[in-house]
Amino acid sequence: MIDVLLFVLGSSLLVLSAVLSLIGAVGFLRFRNFFIRLHSATVGSIGGGVYGLVGLALLTLSLDVPGYLKYYIFGVAIVSAALVVFASPTGSHILSRAAYRSGEAAPRPLIKDKLKEAGLE
Amino acid sequence: MVDPSLLNYVLPVVLGVYGLAYSIYSIVVLRGPTVPDMVLALDVMTVDLIIIYLLIALYYGSPMLAIGAIPLASWILLLDFVVAKYLLEVRKK
Repeated sequence: MIDVLLFVLGSSLLVLSAVLSLIGAVGFLRFRNFFIRLHSATVGSIGGGVYGLVGLALLTLSLDVPGYLKYYIFGVAIVSAALVVFASPTGSHILSRAAYRSGEAAPRPLIKDKLKEAGLE
Repeated sequence: MVDPSLLNYVLPVVLGVYGLAYSIYSIVVLRGPTVPDMVLALDVMTVDLIIIYLLIALYYGSPMLAIGAIPLASWILLLDFVVAKYLLEVRKK
């Protein structure tokens, strides 16, 4: 019984994650500048990646496959999810800071620049 | 235990949607318009690639295919870090 529950939960998470990844990709095309695209990058990497990896781990646990395959893929999926949770927001933050400070991506339309006012440019 | 043949209903849908998202991200990687946009899209592409790797490993029943997933996940932070250093030190206006 719990295997069926895990399978349904894992499949649902996987499908949800695929749809979120597609939404993030469309956002990448539609949004106007780099700093707004950071939102769709979060949807794509956390919604489209971590949910899917956790779903894949649950799905693998429920399947009737040899133990070495099941636990190997479960472990890899969980470790990858943890790494993505750590690396993706940190990397986006480093990148946006560098893009702002180097002037590579202009934040436009810009209404008020609090960083400039505070002298943290 | 659930029969692995049920995966035949889930995997084509998921792989298709991920493949579509992956191709849209690759358009952004090729087109830009700025370097940070390309790198950000490459990050999300890498996350999608991890899932596609693991799904293929599960489908073919081979754990060896899944080995690439963890280095790929580490590559995300490394790439962002290197490009951020490059932007700050070389291209600063």
